[in-house]
Amino acid sequence: MIGGLFIYNHKGEVLISRVYRDDIGSQISDSALFSSSRPFLEERRNAVDAFRVNVIHARQQVRSPVTNIARTSFFHVKRSNIWLAAVTKQNVNAAMVFEFLYKMCDVMAAYFGKISEENIKNNFVLIYELLDEILDFGYPQNSETGALKTFITQQGIKSQTKEEQSQITSQVTGQIGWRREGIKYRRNELFLDVLESVNLLMSPQGQVLSAHVSGRVVMKSYLSGMPECKFGMNDKIVIEKQGKGTADETSKSGKQSIAIDDCTFHQCVRLSKFDSERSISFIPPDGEFELMRYRTTKDIILPFRVIPLVREVGRTKLEVKVVIKSNFKPSLLAQKIEVRIPTPLNTSGVQVICMKGKAKYKASENAIVWKIKRMAGMKESQISAEIELLPTNDKKKWARPPISMNFEVPFAPSGLKVRYLKVFEPKLNYSDHDVIKWVRYIGRSGIYETRC
Amino acid sequence: MPYLGSEDVVKELKKALCNPHIQADRLRYRNVIQRVIRHMTQGLDVSGVFMEMVKASATVDIVQKKLVYLYMCTYAPLKPDLALLAINTLCKDCSDPNPMVRGLALRSMCSLRMPGVQEYIQQPILNGLRDKASYVRRVAVLGCAKMHNLHGDSEVDGALVNELYSLLRDQDPIVVVNCLRSLEEILKQEGGVVINKPIAHHLLNRMSKLDQWGQAEVLNFLLRYQPRSEEELFDILNLLDSFLKSSSPGVVMGATKLFLVLAKKFPHVQTDVLVRVKGPLLAACSSESRELCFAALCHVRQILHSLPGHFSSHYKKFFCSYSEPHYIKLQKVEVLCELVNDENVQQVLEELRGYCTDVSADFSQAAIFAIGGIARTYTDQCVQILTELLGLRQEHITTVVVQTFRDLVWLCPQCTEAVCQALPGCEENIQDSEGKQALIWLLGVHGERIPNAPYVLEDFVENVKSETFPAVKMELLTALLRLFLSRPAECQDMLGRLLYYCIEEEKDMAVRDRGLFYYRLLLVGIDEVKRVLCSPKSDPSLGLLEDPAERPVNSWASDFNTLVPVYGRARWATISKCQGAKHHGPELPNTASFATSGSLIPEENKETIQELPDSGALMLVPNLQLTAEYFEKTWLSLKVAHQQVLPWQGAVHADTLQMALQVVNIQTIAMSRAGARPWKAYLSAQDDSGCLFLTELLLEPENSEIQISVKQNEARTETLNSFISVLETVIRTIGDIKS
Repeated sequence: MIGGLFIYNHKGEVLISRVYRDDIGSQISDSALFSSSRPFLEERRNAVDAFRVNVIHARQQVRSPVTNIARTSFFHVKRSNIWLAAVTKQNVNAAMVFEFLYKMCDVMAAYFGKISEENIKNNFVLIYELLDEILDFGYPQNSETGALKTFITQQGIKSQTKEEQSQITSQVTGQIGWRREGIKYRRNELFLDVLESVNLLMSPQGQVLSAHVSGRVVMKSYLSGMPECKFGMNDKIVIEKQGKGTADETSKSGKQSIAIDDCTFHQCVRLSKFDSERSISFIPPDGEFELMRYRTTKDIILPFRVIPLVREVGRTKLEVKVVIKSNFKPSLLAQKIEVRIPTPLNTSGVQVICMKGKAKYKASENAIVWKIKRMAGMKESQISAEIELLPTNDKKKWARPPISMNFEVPFAPSGLKVRYLKVFEPKLNYSDHDVIKWVRYIGRSGIYETRC
Repeated sequence: MPYLGSEDVVKELKKALCNPHIQADRLRYRNVIQRVIRHMTQGLDVSGVFMEMVKASATVDIVQKKLVYLYMCTYAPLKPDLALLAINTLCKDCSDPNPMVRGLALRSMCSLRMPGVQEYIQQPILNGLRDKASYVRRVAVLGCAKMHNLHGDSEVDGALVNELYSLLRDQDPIVVVNCLRSLEEILKQEGGVVINKPIAHHLLNRMSKLDQWGQAEVLNFLLRYQPRSEEELFDILNLLDSFLKSSSPGVVMGATKLFLVLAKKFPHVQTDVLVRVKGPLLAACSSESRELCFAALCHVRQILHSLPGHFSSHYKKFFCSYSEPHYIKLQKVEVLCELVNDENVQQVLEELRGYCTDVSADFSQAAIFAIGGIARTYTDQCVQILTELLGLRQEHITTVVVQTFRDLVWLCPQCTEAVCQALPGCEENIQDSEGKQALIWLLGVHGERIPNAPYVLEDFVENVKSETFPAVKMELLTALLRLFLSRPAECQDMLGRLLYYCIEEEKDMAVRDRGLFYYRLLLVGIDEVKRVLCSPKSDPSLGLLEDPAERPVNSWASDFNTLVPVYGRARWATISKCQGAKHHGPELPNTASFATSGSLIPEENKETIQELPDSGALMLVPNLQLTAEYFEKTWLSLKVAHQQVLPWQGAVHADTLQMALQVVNIQTIAMSRAGARPWKAYLSAQDDSGCLFLTELLLEPENSEIQISVKQNEARTETLNSFISVLETVIRTIGDIKS
């Protein structure tokens, strides 16, 4: 259970503070609470200040996302400049508290977009409203964005109609907590986004030290009624099961199917059905939600290969040459490519020559940043730089941080393909064919590093 | 600063709230209220406008209502009389046709923390429990717990408890979970909510309908249920199987814990479960949510303690990436250190070697310590890597490497030769106290194998005047005397100089005492010196006490998925212990009185301490002879009779402590080396009736606390209490002198 929630900006000023239980920040008994109430408020402030002093303003790096100050545990999560801290005195489940904080971030983001100081200040009434609904007495309550929308009244002035009132009742008593009854759309439409982030750690010799893809299938549905959906992809196990028929088919599909290491689903997916026949069927929430999350580690298509060459010429000069090779179909275009080549701290000047894109030395970041807007598959590009160094008497060897890369490609690096998404709505008369469906694949770089 | 000038702000807000023009304009009125809340958030005391805010609660605007209720819940304890005025409005709202308004009013009313509110909320809560909207029922159910909390220790309302038990069958999943939470709090004195067979089975059937928070919570409650038969147990496990693969890591860990605890008599089931959660745990460890990743890593370490080979084939998953936050890297290094086996040792060491030159000194030191840890099994390779690191001539690296060597020589004597060859030259790169101590110790103990050992020590002796750390000087004295025994010709002159300096010029008492002691020892004769300094070393097998080789899964299953793996067991023990001690403060009567008398005793009059035992009924036998083996055997066979935590600043001067304990007839059996973390010591004492007291001191420098655990071979409370007070006095005295 959570005793209180605080949101700070980077200076450590409190933007939001909501206390659910008395026990945090103080050991006041009831008598102390009633006899002199000053210490009560002061103690509460102490909890707030303790976190600021010990974590936000701490000199050293943060040693743990869980901090114990005066026997109170502070769980914090940082989003850009904002610190969210959950406070408790109990022996709670760490994973759960962090999940709750993430959920909190998601819900806030669903309401007002990016979590920034500006947005939080402008929406602080809304946030208090949300905190009121999501947690009661420190216990998480309903946290589905869709379901919350009925309770949160940003334009609260309008008094509710009878219809809406009954909706609240049915919504919270119904079996399906994530979808309202009686949703109607003129145009039944759905969007599927396969979003993947590919992570790589490669040795200077081009050996893959570790690589994995963590992906999400995000669905945005605008469907009437209570539609029953069935989702299919090129999961190896399913394909093998079906492909028993002809040997030809197995050999063909064997290549295209992928092995999923583990996957998890939104609450709405019937897990029993997945376990028995590995089919993914569900009644989707209205609007956007994350259908599944998965991870693969085998046969990953690495969209780019980085080949670094670093040569130290004497004590005051470094020659760096980096070649990037794109490794996908020539018809596809990768976008927003950025290669970050770290330079030593005592760099005095850099000369860069690149064939494609723009490269710049950023002294403040100690790196050469090379940006390419677009790049087709099976191409190669290279950059070479001469780095002048100031002679120092610091004998510390330069640690050579890895070269990191950012990009976006229009395919799924795991090889995942959506095979079908069927919609059935028995009560309303629209069929699977009437639904307009869109599928999109986006592969982004996660931590994509090559050591040099 | 928002704390200043609060009066002006309050006055201005008051004026605005009273202004009829503003009151008429809904938007402006709400704006002013928002400003009040904003000041409240920043920590400004705006309780002065309570009256005006109560008035503002009478509105149809739900947002305004929410804001005002939030305000009232914060300040009601300060203005209980005024808050009563608001009750009327709240009661009216509790019967509003809109379920949302009803729920809001009920929730706010239950959250008013002030005396006398119970009589007003009782009826609305009872109505709320039977409300047709589940939203209101959820609020009402938790309201019961809030009401009980307000009452404090008043008796439990049986009818209400029954009503809550029956609501466990409610249609709405959140109501069900809230019922459990509420009952748990109300019945805390009686051990919490009772999970019997029908309830357990009902909950198990409802599990899939709950959201992730509910599932995690119910899994936790189910821990209490003891299945009657093996068959039922396996039915339950089958039913819960799918939760091991849930999308929420919290639920996965909750389910894992439940499996481990329920199957405590079936080790193969436990192993099987741990194999099955490997996937989800690894996924959490490489997830982008860093904090979650941290929590998962802590649990991976916990599992590795019992099953060292569990993640060995996945070692690459625990390689650090450059951009990961510090705390994850440190955890990963620890994990790597534990999953090493014959197949991956080469790759892991290669990887760790890379971290040793990281820009962050902290991280590179952690990596070096990790290599030191691996060196206990794979000595040769590690010593070679560590030797190469010395070649970098980096201060922060050299000092840690030398410390690692010191520990290593102790644990694996076979590597002494290699270490001795690596040492020459590194004295130039050591500046800090820990590193110097380690180097000096090594030179003293193994000086006969290091050709230039006397010359290095001579440098230290020359510069002893400018040496800032007393601990280094003490170490130097001992080392030099040791080396004098093996290489007298080279050391005699400088030993004389050092002793002269320590006795005549040194300001630090402990150093001076040590100097005098050695001086007198030398006067007695060289044989006596040899007898004292080269007495048999404490038994390395005592290490068993510090680090039990194998920890069965059952020893930590109940701690899984709590804060214990995150903080570490020892640290959690102190945290929870202090909580306990604070609550039951008055039950330890002698703590306070001895604390004051203890701090008044200066070190010179140690004799006064000796008289203390006489004042109690306790007489400790002097010169108790206890062998380490006997101690270890007895220690393991006894239960802890008393545990307590005392404040402690800085490091330990082992010798001072040992001497002080000697004075009151408590013998030291074994101690960790100075600077070890955590630092431990084992003490023993016996009173005239033959009752044996065995004690463990555990010091964790980060917490500035020392934990004392006492075991007794005959359970006698009075003597135990007097023994503890004696021990406490000594420790407090030493602690005070140093700080």
